[in-house]
Amino acid sequence: MSAALATRIAEDFAAATPAANELQRQRAMQALTKSGLPTSRDENWKYVNLRPLEKVRFAPPPGEGKITVTVADLPATVARSRYTFVDGVFAPALSAPTTNEGVSVISMKASTPRAASVSPDLPADLRFALLNEAFATDGAQIEVAPGAHCETCVELVFGATTEAKAGASYPRVSFKVGAGARIGLIERHVSIGSDANFINCAVDVEVARDSSVQHFRVQQTGARAIWFDTLTARLAENARYQVHTVNLGGLSARSTMHVQLTGERSEEGLFNVSVGGKNQVHDTFALVEHIAPNARTEQGFRGISGGRARVAFNGKIIVRKSAHGTDSRQSLRGLLAGTDAEIDVRPQLEIYTDDVRCNHGATAGKLDDNMLFYLLSRGLDRETALRLLKWAFLEDVVAKIDVPELRRQIEQSLASQLNETAALKELL
Amino acid sequence: MLKIDNLQVAVGDNKVLNGLTLEVPTGEVHAIMGPNGSGKSTLAHVLAGRPGYTVTAGSVTLDGKDLLALEPEERAHEGVFLGFQYPVEIPGVNNVYLLKAALNAARKHRGLPEVDAFEFLTLVREKMKLMKMDESFLSRGVNEGFSGGEKKRNEILQMLVLEPKLAVLDETDSGLDIDALKVVANGVNTLRSPDRSVVLVTHYQRLLDYVVPDHVHVLVRGKIARSGDRTLALELEKRGYDWVLEEAA
Repeated sequence: MSAALATRIAEDFAAATPAANELQRQRAMQALTKSGLPTSRDENWKYVNLRPLEKVRFAPPPGEGKITVTVADLPATVARSRYTFVDGVFAPALSAPTTNEGVSVISMKASTPRAASVSPDLPADLRFALLNEAFATDGAQIEVAPGAHCETCVELVFGATTEAKAGASYPRVSFKVGAGARIGLIERHVSIGSDANFINCAVDVEVARDSSVQHFRVQQTGARAIWFDTLTARLAENARYQVHTVNLGGLSARSTMHVQLTGERSEEGLFNVSVGGKNQVHDTFALVEHIAPNARTEQGFRGISGGRARVAFNGKIIVRKSAHGTDSRQSLRGLLAGTDAEIDVRPQLEIYTDDVRCNHGATAGKLDDNMLFYLLSRGLDRETALRLLKWAFLEDVVAKIDVPELRRQIEQSLASQLNETAALKELL
Repeated sequence: MLKIDNLQVAVGDNKVLNGLTLEVPTGEVHAIMGPNGSGKSTLAHVLAGRPGYTVTAGSVTLDGKDLLALEPEERAHEGVFLGFQYPVEIPGVNNVYLLKAALNAARKHRGLPEVDAFEFLTLVREKMKLMKMDESFLSRGVNEGFSGGEKKRNEILQMLVLEPKLAVLDETDSGLDIDALKVVANGVNTLRSPDRSVVLVTHYQRLLDYVVPDHVHVLVRGKIARSGDRTLALELEKRGYDWVLEEAA
């Protein structure tokens, strides 16, 4: 991080209104000052575009978002209850909370004591979470009681409205799931209006033993938005956590995920679909750390890069010495859909013990000529055939989203994004 | 009528067809036989417009229309159907979607509206019954995980739904057991009509026991070396290809 950037962050921090959680914010700021933000010279950060940081005002916008947001600006609700945040601040008028037994959702602003903070000595790749911690004034705190069952339960919508020069948006989620609970969470990120938003999101997930969590994350911010995201999760014994991310929007979107399998026989599924066109940059770094024995991971990535876009997925699995009996599978596939586009798919494995099963497959390439000719020979026009093949390419990972209404919405968005990914004719 | 005149085709620097001339009148079934490497599959691919082949001379017309000037999908619209020797697996695109998209593409070309969903399913079910195919085929990915025989049946099913003017079947009989062969042959026979032509590319005469051709041609080094009626195929079965090769030399 440049000295100028550090100074600006510190100045913006000093100018921000003190909040109830001042001590915690101070600690995060101190840790951030010490560690700095990543730069493109850091390993795992070379694809992301960090230049927009130079123009951001890091403090949240003063008061409410500058444009009036209505329910019509938001995607149709899928889950039982919805909680909307505008520029990181809970907006009751845009929310539809309902009571779900054993599930508590509160605004962090209102919570006492506040949710536990990110540890200040967290791994270097998670430093954007410190920036969130230092500046966020609100967020969603979700607690699920042991044994509670609520599928497709809670939907969080984070809408950004403010131009980056005027203020940043800090979506923040703390999600704690009690033992033996089953729950589904939908998390959406959108822009309202066409300003160049700066969004820095931090999500922390704690999955207790024997529980099962489905977490769907849809990033559909605006064409000029800069989106940073840090997700951390810990899984206890026998816990199951599936996180599905769909990356469609943003000018630049970077997601950093760190999942720790701390409980024996825990199960992680990490699925990511990313479609970039025009001059978009989508970059995901997903680290799954096997600490306990006999845990399983499945990582799936399908990315399409068209136009002048750059889509990258770096999927890393670390198997610690203690994690014998680990079973991990990676299937990472990228498709290049434009002569000026770039796709980077990188599987990484670090194994410190014997007795593990780690399979990985990674491909990056163009569409298959034989498949294309087959469809053309059946009379499909070239554009339809190409679109269909791209669709098919994504389908096995999209199909894992087993909330029909959400999947329908996502498929619709994917279809229109694929149409816009243009440069179809450049493909072959 | 399909008319091929002095067709010369190269793959890279390799000349594969060397002045092939053939007429297949409407309503007839012609079998193209020949040893390995004689250019049979090349002919099938060139008719359908597969990329990777350079036509250096000659012409191909279907009812007077220059096929070589058309893109593969335009040839399909004109009624050309290629039954693949190795049908491609396309996971994620289901069979019923492809069938419907293909049928609608053909209808659009003829100025017809999209097929009614109910009529379409009725049509497909009827053809599937003929091909002895299970209903579950419809929702599976195109050829995904199909056995060799299932893939070939699926080719014929597509052909029956699309009702092409010219069907070119490239070694559709290869890899089929006798029961599957009969089903496939039955499918082809169903399509036989005074207003369609069929070109059967085959290595063995076995298929011709069930789909009786009007004419048999033997391809040697990229040219028709000999033509005759179905007894030619029987003779080839008995004597092999050597004598035709010797005659051609």
